[in-house]
Amino acid sequence: MDKYDAVVIGGGNGGLVAAIRLLQGGAKVLLVEKHNLPGGFATSFKRGRFEFEASLHELNDFGTKDNAGDVRDLFDALGVTDKIDWTEIPEAYRVISREEKIDATMPFGIKAFIDKMESYVPGSRRSMEKFFELAKTIHAAQAYSNSVNGATDKKVMLSKYANFVRVGSYSVNEVLDALKMPKKAKDILNAYWCYLGAHCDDLSFIHYASMVYRYITKGASMPKMRSHEISLALVERIRELGGDVWFNTEAVKILTGNDGIEGVVLNGGKTIQTRHVIANCAPHLVYGKMIDNVPERIVKATNARKFAGRGLTMFLGLNKSADELGIENHNYFLYDTMDSKKQYELMKKISTNKVQATVCLNRAYPECSPKGTCMMYFTTLFMEDDWGNVSAKDYFKVKDEYVKVMIDRFEKDTGSKISDSIEEISLATPMTYAHYCGHPEGDIYGYESQYWDGLTPRLLMMNEDYQNGIRGLRFAGGYSMRLSGYSSAYFSGDISGRQTVGDIKREG
Amino acid sequence: MAFRFKKQIFGFMDLIRFTKLVDKRRAKLENAPATPLPVTYRVNETAKILHPAPLTVKLVGIVKDSPDTKTYTFELPQKAFFRAGQYAVLRAKIGDSLVSRPYAISSSPYTALNDGKVSLTIKKSGYFSSYMFDKAKEGDEFTLSLPFGNFFYESVKDCPHIVGIAGGSGITPFYSMIKGIEEGSEDFKLTLFYGAKTANDLVFKDELDKVSNDKIKIVYVLSDEKSDGYENGFISADIIKKYVDGDFTAMLCGPNAMYNFVDAELAKMGVSGKFVKHEANCTASRDVKPKTYKLTVHIQDEVYTVEADAADTILTSMERAGLSVPARCRAGGCGFCHSKLVSGKFSIAGADKRRLADSKFGYIHPCCSYPDSDMELIVPRG
Repeated sequence: MDKYDAVVIGGGNGGLVAAIRLLQGGAKVLLVEKHNLPGGFATSFKRGRFEFEASLHELNDFGTKDNAGDVRDLFDALGVTDKIDWTEIPEAYRVISREEKIDATMPFGIKAFIDKMESYVPGSRRSMEKFFELAKTIHAAQAYSNSVNGATDKKVMLSKYANFVRVGSYSVNEVLDALKMPKKAKDILNAYWCYLGAHCDDLSFIHYASMVYRYITKGASMPKMRSHEISLALVERIRELGGDVWFNTEAVKILTGNDGIEGVVLNGGKTIQTRHVIANCAPHLVYGKMIDNVPERIVKATNARKFAGRGLTMFLGLNKSADELGIENHNYFLYDTMDSKKQYELMKKISTNKVQATVCLNRAYPECSPKGTCMMYFTTLFMEDDWGNVSAKDYFKVKDEYVKVMIDRFEKDTGSKISDSIEEISLATPMTYAHYCGHPEGDIYGYESQYWDGLTPRLLMMNEDYQNGIRGLRFAGGYSMRLSGYSSAYFSGDISGRQTVGDIKREG
Repeated sequence: MAFRFKKQIFGFMDLIRFTKLVDKRRAKLENAPATPLPVTYRVNETAKILHPAPLTVKLVGIVKDSPDTKTYTFELPQKAFFRAGQYAVLRAKIGDSLVSRPYAISSSPYTALNDGKVSLTIKKSGYFSSYMFDKAKEGDEFTLSLPFGNFFYESVKDCPHIVGIAGGSGITPFYSMIKGIEEGSEDFKLTLFYGAKTANDLVFKDELDKVSNDKIKIVYVLSDEKSDGYENGFISADIIKKYVDGDFTAMLCGPNAMYNFVDAELAKMGVSGKFVKHEANCTASRDVKPKTYKLTVHIQDEVYTVEADAADTILTSMERAGLSVPARCRAGGCGFCHSKLVSGKFSIAGADKRRLADSKFGYIHPCCSYPDSDMELIVPRG
């Protein structure tokens, strides 16, 4: 029987990084991935003369060599930064709500960001400065917390990072209101909320501010060959370090005994002996069907959690250039309303969800598609399981209708005309995500960042969650302690990988 | 610190609130219901119909359509759904080899959805199709994967009028489309030009003659026979213009020689680019000096050494040796056989359709690559 120190189940962003961390810690590692490609959502696909990015809008917190973000530091430590060709994202974002007459394009850099905000919303400067000051403290406190593996000293927190603790229990809107930020400035600043998938009355301020701070101070990057380049670079690194990666190989059962993890059964019947598993997939799947006799406290804890957004992305290859089509920006947020709670409600149903986060990749990397063409992807989230109401029989019709809604939205909000120039089209729905990655309901955002289950409480309870779970079982990816998104998933793999190295030393 | 954040009247209350975060989450986790976790979800169940895992299917019907073509109907263990024009991959163990081929589905989408049945119409031409024609019998079991490919009507980008160009056994996806239009699972206007050498070579001729639907028009074009009711020659711009007005999207399925000819004819009519779609053809063997190379293949923790004929694709050599390896389009486009090259030289048939990063990190598609030296590969499990 094959024997490994640790098995990583799932080669998504979290699983790939976890495998490298385990190998760097001296462990013998097997990573199994049920798909024929690595990366999970971090991949690309070809249609005609286009190679589409499957999911990455921009890699946050990467920065430059001189102004490195945390993700670059992590990639340096993993030994993969130089395996990837990077290109920088030109501006932060453009947010439009036609109904509420908002149309703002925001730059990178704190000063430029505050100045631009002041030009859109005179009188917003003071509150914006306070926002960034709080965000800076949050960022510093998080760095401190990471440096001590989450075991923070209360005295240090209160003396050095008191504002972190003071804002730590509040939602985005509660803090911004306390800062007396003008409504329109709040609306523009909050544009990113849909990237974290919870509305701003529920979403933790710490979580949101830390993301915006990283994004605005460090800028964002993109691998030139789509996120597939990152995923292959990570696999390359795993193999360089002596790890095994098996594709088209699904873990169907995790074997447990009195002392926790004992092994993993693969499709095809092979059993791997191991005492440690990092699952880069949903606890709902792991405890729902991969492990027998799950203790009641774990069933309860899993039931407590709420699925976050179910994903939908439309990909268009256009036979005209972005200039010819009048597509000006890299990155758009198109909303009905800037009231994120109201918008969240509208995003529950197929019939009412018209939100989109849209990217024209050529605006960051002009050579990404042949000359005289451009490539776009349009993403939205469904805050309820409405696609569960769509039968297989109606599926293709519902898809076709939804595509028209998305195109119409973009054309009306931006004034560009794209519908006559579509050369290639593909639509990934919750069914597609359920198929490729196995996520429940086609969820692409893990568990929702609800107030009680946000970033801070998850990090504070990281060790407790492990103790209350099954010995030898940790999680990585969007369902775990850093929540969803590329950089979060990479960090979750970093944390779980390093912690498992410690577990192996301690637990054998 | 430039300013001290305060939300509540007394700042210390903000601090206390923070310390309650853990208590709150702990209570939520402890007090949730103990109802068993779901084993599956509605979206995931629908996804299984739209994208089934490889299925073990039973051959339940064989109909001889012409002297060299038969339609095989398979019973699926579940329902499935697809877009008319898509293909399935049929796999069988023949002797010591594990062989698979992609075939366009000839039955309708609702037949798969309502009855759990799928038909493939196969012309006897090579190794696998000859096995099917001569040996396959009702009751035999196969592995079937479906549906794949993008050869279907796409309402958002295609014209509502499709001009289908079928050459020989290239009729099969169009036959599914016709059935789809008739049953209502597909909705577009189809003018089909069906080319063959002689009237005897027209598979489905009797069934097509019975089609009566104002969205469907069928024109037979015979290259080697002149006869009433048939156009004569190749499918040319002149013949197309005789039956078609206005804008259309052309969909072509047939041999590559037909694509070269018809593409030029369509270009004369100003139809090109996004308005012309081709179904891909399987990569054939190549004409080279006979030579055999050593192929070392890693699949999971097993290592196999097999012979690779310089004339055959790497995929064909692995299948012939009985290895279970991934195979789908066999035309280099779908990427399902994506494998890591450890060492060795290879040539790609036709255009390089790999993702950019695949070339960079040394991945190849064995289905469209020929060996030019001894080679070592890491291949996913089939």
